[in-house]
Amino acid sequence: MKFLCIPCDVKMEVQVDGIMPEEKTNLAMKFKCKKCGHSIAMLTNKFETEFVSKLGVELGGATDVSKAPMASVGSSLSQAKEELKSTNPEDDLIWTEEALERIKRVPFFVRGMAKKTVINFATEKGVTTIDAKLMDEVREKVGM
Amino acid sequence: MKTYEDLEGDGGSNVIGQVTALGEKLRSRLDKIKYKVALMSGKGGVGKSSITANIASCLADRGNKVGILDADLNGPSIAHLLGVGNEVQLEMKDDGLNPGIGHQGIRIMSMDMLLKTDDTPVMWTDADDATASWVSIMESTATRELMADTNWGELDYLLIDMPPGSDRIDNIRSLIPELAGVVEITIPSPLSQHIVTKSITKNNKMGVPIIGLIENMATYVCPHCDKEGKLFDGEDVHKLSERKDIPYIGKIPFDTRVSRSQSGNLFYNEFKDSVTGKAIAEAVDNIEKFITK
Repeated sequence: MKFLCIPCDVKMEVQVDGIMPEEKTNLAMKFKCKKCGHSIAMLTNKFETEFVSKLGVELGGATDVSKAPMASVGSSLSQAKEELKSTNPEDDLIWTEEALERIKRVPFFVRGMAKKTVINFATEKGVTTIDAKLMDEVREKVGM
Repeated sequence: MKTYEDLEGDGGSNVIGQVTALGEKLRSRLDKIKYKVALMSGKGGVGKSSITANIASCLADRGNKVGILDADLNGPSIAHLLGVGNEVQLEMKDDGLNPGIGHQGIRIMSMDMLLKTDDTPVMWTDADDATASWVSIMESTATRELMADTNWGELDYLLIDMPPGSDRIDNIRSLIPELAGVVEITIPSPLSQHIVTKSITKNNKMGVPIIGLIENMATYVCPHCDKEGKLFDGEDVHKLSERKDIPYIGKIPFDTRVSRSQSGNLFYNEFKDSVTGKAIAEAVDNIEKFITK
């Protein structure tokens, strides 16, 4: 699926900051025209979101999340063992237990994007510890 | 206005690149396995998993390195049959999940090992109103992950214990184009033969090599005197194999001691000289002959 900016006649680009679903419900994904700067959001209902989540690929491109073994099964399987729910936080930041739990709840196929959003936000603010409060701020900022 | 083809790349997710990478990961895993064999039946309850476990036991007994992928996602039994309980601690490495090690060193991957408790069913969502429409997609994804993300290592044989029915073979065939073949399993009952016929027809149409037909529970054997008796009425299974032009590769009598497999000690390994043990060995002879011919 591609999105076209009609006035500029150019492809809109997917944006990292725009996706923060912590439950498998509604998905909001931002696209922006690099020529005129106009942004749109693609919104899906929970059925569409679930459908995409089962394909085994990540929206916004592959990250370390999809490289983890059994990533899709671990994320989708209700009542899976905890060992399957690795978050692979390959960054220099400290994640509190609560923040890790929250990022684990983000569906596999957008978790990489969600992590990038949080990390970028923390880096911009000069914060080295990611906690639930910071994640609330991110959610408020991206408006999703 | 530009059309879909006019715009380079995809929506920004590089889905094709990701799918290609998943395929390469699977390929690198499968390349270390010499022979991949699927065991299937049309109907449930014909002893398919038990036969799979005992064929694995016989192959291991002959010095082969053997793994079993439990593709029966919703009714997994292989881990139990080989003595790997739900309580097994998962060993997650960067490059994959280590398989469970069952009786005789047989490597196992099964949904049963991934669930929190012994009585937890396989459910792909917690939502009570959103299950059916994407279950099939998730099952295909899960089957690929179980195969590609398990550290099987070097294997001579990977046996794939299929779920009842013939629908999952499409998925397996696309994941493993080099499948050495499928073993069809039936019992003598007319109903079982009727259903396995559909599976055979489908595999023939798809060009999936059929190693042959095993008749399970062909007779029962008295554990005290080794005398055999008839267990089911029905058409001679030989006739079915002739009609469908596939080899009849094994007639395996029912032996009450097969249930001991649930303790993890496989029947074949303990009773290889029994009537049923010898029948299993003969079926394995035929499988090996087909594969190495």
